[in-house]
Amino acid sequence: MVSLARKNLLHDRIRFAITLAGVAFAVTLVLVQVGLFLGLLGKATVTIENSSADIWIVAKNTPNVDFGNPFPETVFLRARGVPGVERADNAIVQFVNIQLPSGATENALVYGISDPAYWNLPWKVEAGRAEDLNRGYNLMMDRSAVLRFGGFDVGDYRELGGRRFRIIGRSAEAESFTTTPIVFMDFGNAQSLLEQLSGQTTYVLVKVEKGFDPKEVAARLRPMFPFNDVHTRDEWAAASRGYWIESTGLGMSMGVTVFLGILVGVVIVAQTLYTSAVEHIREFGTVKAIGGSNWDIYKILGEQALIAAVCGFALGAGASYAVRPAMASLHLTVLLTPQFSGVVFVGTLAMCLAAALFSFRRVALIDPALVFRG
Amino acid sequence: MSKVLEARVVRKTFEEGSQRVEVLRGVSLDVTRGEIVSLEGPSGSGKTTLLSIMGCILTPSAGEVHIGGQRISGNDKALRDARRKSIGFVFQQFNLFPALSARENILYALGIKGHKGAKAEIEADRVIDAVGLTDRRHFLPRDLSGGQKQRVAIARALAGSPEVILADEPTANLDSATGASILDLFRDLARSENKGLIIVTHDPKVRRVADRVAGIADGLILPRAHAA
Repeated sequence: MVSLARKNLLHDRIRFAITLAGVAFAVTLVLVQVGLFLGLLGKATVTIENSSADIWIVAKNTPNVDFGNPFPETVFLRARGVPGVERADNAIVQFVNIQLPSGATENALVYGISDPAYWNLPWKVEAGRAEDLNRGYNLMMDRSAVLRFGGFDVGDYRELGGRRFRIIGRSAEAESFTTTPIVFMDFGNAQSLLEQLSGQTTYVLVKVEKGFDPKEVAARLRPMFPFNDVHTRDEWAAASRGYWIESTGLGMSMGVTVFLGILVGVVIVAQTLYTSAVEHIREFGTVKAIGGSNWDIYKILGEQALIAAVCGFALGAGASYAVRPAMASLHLTVLLTPQFSGVVFVGTLAMCLAAALFSFRRVALIDPALVFRG
Repeated sequence: MSKVLEARVVRKTFEEGSQRVEVLRGVSLDVTRGEIVSLEGPSGSGKTTLLSIMGCILTPSAGEVHIGGQRISGNDKALRDARRKSIGFVFQQFNLFPALSARENILYALGIKGHKGAKAEIEADRVIDAVGLTDRRHFLPRDLSGGQKQRVAIARALAGSPEVILADEPTANLDSATGASILDLFRDLARSENKGLIIVTHDPKVRRVADRVAGIADGLILPRAHAA
């Protein structure tokens, strides 16, 4: 059967272009904003996701991985004795002052790791070797530090917490949620930077033996450490994400953005479809006069809404993917996964069909007898 | 001759605010196969209301409509089915779909009537040939003259072989020569396709092709209906 819906859309090209622009704008807004949000959240948990630790033992009520609180460093020894634990080591995550060549003082987020290579922190090394971190006052700085700390080379020296460190390598992808650059060093060196960390650690990293379920091992560890929280990797990542979403209002902000995006899409699509329906009332009256039902007209409007959704999504998604390199050059990650894109696609279909519903009531009231009016 | 469409003592009352207006006051009219009936009357006489009721678009307040001897009940689905299967409409304003070509206008109407695929394509080509627009079948309505548009509308009404065609002022928007050619086409098609045809008109030239003229005034059929 001839598609009156498609033909009418192509016949009213300007209106169709406006509809597509509305849908594409809504899709781009949602994809880019939520993609940025997801990219930012990814930074909040990037060290948790990439380290080889299956379980993190943290001080009670530690809100997220960047805000480590100290507790006695001997805890890891008891953890090592638990069945299913392959290895447990101390780790420090702490903000420390860094002196820059410009004379300015900035904050660095120091990750002090007992065996960096084993714990896969850092996980992506562009220059140097993680194994060399515990051979003296050495550190490895992430390439993203260039934005805040200025340029640096392997072999340069920087002063952290009043102590001089040699940069022996450069990592990549280790960016924190707060944009504070991450610096990797040996656990002992990190511990010596701040007086309050003497004899203390902020985390115990636990690797579970093969064949053991991290959840079961974590359940065994919890009663042993009543003054600590014990999280599996997923639980700790979820807690860290949840902290930033709730405490910063970022979740609400994203919710409002998504709502506005959908609202813009619905209003534009509904408005253009409704105007189109009103302008084609005589045609719809003719459809009814020759024996068509309301359903035949709903199908026309629904098909137009779906065509607008598919084409508008393609344009919006294309624009969102195209903008990613530009955003990356600004050190902003727009995380667009196939799953997320799929959800937005289904949402776009639903949005456009919902917008079409506004016209359904109008066309349902069309009197086919209007075709006899001159 | 058997009656293909018959209105029996039809009354129609509309309510306008607190007033009740009786537009039809017991009208009876019929048409047989191959017959052309011209329904004439002044504005407000009730002829379009009668056409709407006989075309199963409106339901009568009282009285009955029969198509092929079967009474049409007043529910929406029965009326819609009757319009799909048994009736073809030709309108004063043509009412073609502007985004569809002449052939697509016919194909779309056939789709609504339940005809699809190759059979629908063959039927569309048949009726477009019958109205003499073979070489214009891929033209959009905006690229056709008034007479050609009305020919497309007639082809659309013929498509699917309804038993009766109802035409509302089909020559009102056409010049005399074009109007005359459309009337000739109606006469030829009524004979060749063996359709009953009722033409509602102000145009006295319709009498030239009509087998019977029915006059209507103040909601009543005039007693002196006569053959042309």
